[in-house]
Amino acid sequence: MLWVLLWKDLRRARRNPWPYVINLALPICITALIGLAFGPSSKGGPEPIRMAIVDEDDSAMGRFLRGAADSGDFKKRMEARFLGREEALKEINNNKTSAVLIIPKGFTQNYLTGKGPLALELIKNPAQSFYPAIVEELLEVMVAGLNAVSRNLQADLPEWKEVLAKEGRPDTQRIADLVVRVGKRFEKAEHYLFPPLVRYTKSTQQQKTGGDSPAMNIFAFVLPGLAAMFLLMLADQAIRDQQREVSTGTLDRYRTLRDKLLPFVMSKAVFAVVLVAIGSLILFGGGVWIFGIHWEKPIQMSALVVAYGVFAAGLMAFIGSLTRSERRGDSVNSMLIMCLSFLGGSFFPARQLPAVFREHVVPLMPNNWFIEAVRELQGGGASMPWDWAVLKLVLVGLAFMIAAAWIFQRALTKGVRA
Amino acid sequence: MSLLKVNGLCKSFGELRAVNDVCFEVRPGEIYGLLGPNGAGKTTTISMISGLLRPDAGKVSVDGGDFWSDPARAQKIMGVVPQEVALYEELTGRENLEFWGRLAGLASGEARGRAGEVLEALSLTDRGQDAVKNYSGGMKRRINIGCALMHRPKVLLLDEPTVGIDPQARANILEFVRKLGAEGTAILYTTHYLEEAETLCSRIGIIDHGKLLAEGTLPELQKRLGGDQLFVLEGNLQQSNPDAWPKFHERFRVIQKSDHQLVVSSQTARHPSECLRDLLELPVRVENVTLKRPSLNDVFLQLTGRELRE
Repeated sequence: MLWVLLWKDLRRARRNPWPYVINLALPICITALIGLAFGPSSKGGPEPIRMAIVDEDDSAMGRFLRGAADSGDFKKRMEARFLGREEALKEINNNKTSAVLIIPKGFTQNYLTGKGPLALELIKNPAQSFYPAIVEELLEVMVAGLNAVSRNLQADLPEWKEVLAKEGRPDTQRIADLVVRVGKRFEKAEHYLFPPLVRYTKSTQQQKTGGDSPAMNIFAFVLPGLAAMFLLMLADQAIRDQQREVSTGTLDRYRTLRDKLLPFVMSKAVFAVVLVAIGSLILFGGGVWIFGIHWEKPIQMSALVVAYGVFAAGLMAFIGSLTRSERRGDSVNSMLIMCLSFLGGSFFPARQLPAVFREHVVPLMPNNWFIEAVRELQGGGASMPWDWAVLKLVLVGLAFMIAAAWIFQRALTKGVRA
Repeated sequence: MSLLKVNGLCKSFGELRAVNDVCFEVRPGEIYGLLGPNGAGKTTTISMISGLLRPDAGKVSVDGGDFWSDPARAQKIMGVVPQEVALYEELTGRENLEFWGRLAGLASGEARGRAGEVLEALSLTDRGQDAVKNYSGGMKRRINIGCALMHRPKVLLLDEPTVGIDPQARANILEFVRKLGAEGTAILYTTHYLEEAETLCSRIGIIDHGKLLAEGTLPELQKRLGGDQLFVLEGNLQQSNPDAWPKFHERFRVIQKSDHQLVVSSQTARHPSECLRDLLELPVRVENVTLKRPSLNDVFLQLTGRELRE
């Protein structure tokens, strides 16, 4: 009997899947939006800093920067483009670049001859905060370097200027002499520089699970919460079919053939559990495929999903038996799901709620048991063992289902509709 | 022996007495019409007979056994065609038939075979694989009836099965129901269409405000009006008062009176010409007198003081 009823509902859902598809597509979209807004994906890093360089000097300094900008490592972190002043300012106005560095005319000439003071001009994009500050810091380092070179190699700089300014084939003999002289100066300073007084060591923390797909990235944290809410909506959609059967008269027709209502209510509950399971497969499978989440312990996860489906179906059947009409059920269930999701931690971690909710309400929320248990399985530091959550969810769900069947049958036999 | 017997059935919803002491029985091969306007209590009566509502008082016997003592047994014998089209629109006609057949207790293969038979009987074999949502109103109504026939019920309850369909589709359904009756099925047929009750039903019960006012065959009901002739007088009757006319009530019974029309029947079996002469002698200016056979509407009019079509 149960199979006959379930077969009918599954076939109907297959022929008209859109209400269910919407409930499945939404959490994936929202997770993607939240993930992209608040954290990098597990595969990518931050965008390179975009800056423009205006080389009004058109000399060795510009060529040096151009060469540096093309080097591999620098290019990964910073996208430097050489533009005219007006074009560069236009880029800032259009928020297309973080900062503009202007090398004024005669800068290299004056630097090499020691004429000062010299100034490089930096224009920062006021619409951005971090990236222009980083460029400024880099410029300060560069200026300190240029000053250090100027102070230590002041005597050789005019000769360097002459060599660099010479047209045609470079005088390699003279360049070699200059390099040797610079080398000797470094040799003399060696005991001041090496070993350096202060050093630092670096290491990267090993990820707990290893591999390319971290177990607990931002998506893995967000998705269970949103899934808990949208799976409730999916169960609501499935169970609300019970009300549709009341309004279309098919439930009455069933009752003229069968005097017990429990198989009918149970079939709707099983239908809801099946839909929740399929929905979970799509949502959590989508998490692996789209966001690169690695779900730990899939068997325990599956048990949790089925248990949550039983709870969701039971709760929605119970509310449906009280509200009695699809229209009333629609508004009541939507409000209930939003409240449960809010208190259960679907939108943000429940521990962020005020103490009175956190201590007295949140622990009673079955959707919170599910969310915390999934996060616990993911090693996210939650405090709900999965087996305990499964047991509680199933018991609560079954209790709701039995109550729903009893209330529903009683109301129909008394002729509440008539 | 009757297959369906209803005795003293009562049901109230709060202050409203929806069904009040309704009694009738339906024998094998008989089509019993329950005729009444909307809100008369027809659907509530059928709901109590089919187990959808528990009566406040009274008894429903199906094939000799009390319904509420063993509902499952009664449900096996009974087929119910609800007033609304209670089908799954996404499923095909055949799938609907098979599904309701399975619920009625048929095995999978049996339901498949029976669905084919029912589709053929309903002349829907070529549309059996189409989704019900693509059917016309008449086709949906036919499948709606077919779903109740899957388990070959001995008793069939039809609650206004022709509401909202075109005359041709209605004629097809009536013909089908007539055939079922001829095959021996006991049929309870509720309707508010006079023509259906007159042409289809072997016996008719007239129900209004929850009470069964009269029942019998069409001639039996017509006899209640005092014969098979009614006289319709037309003219300005605003000021006229039949109570003041000498010997009028000894000879005639008033069925209906309005400002322009007076419908009467003869109290005794007399020749129409004799009645006509008496009527023309009345102290009132009559513009036209017509003679007609009494209809169910006239019976209803006489019983309730209002027309069924109102």
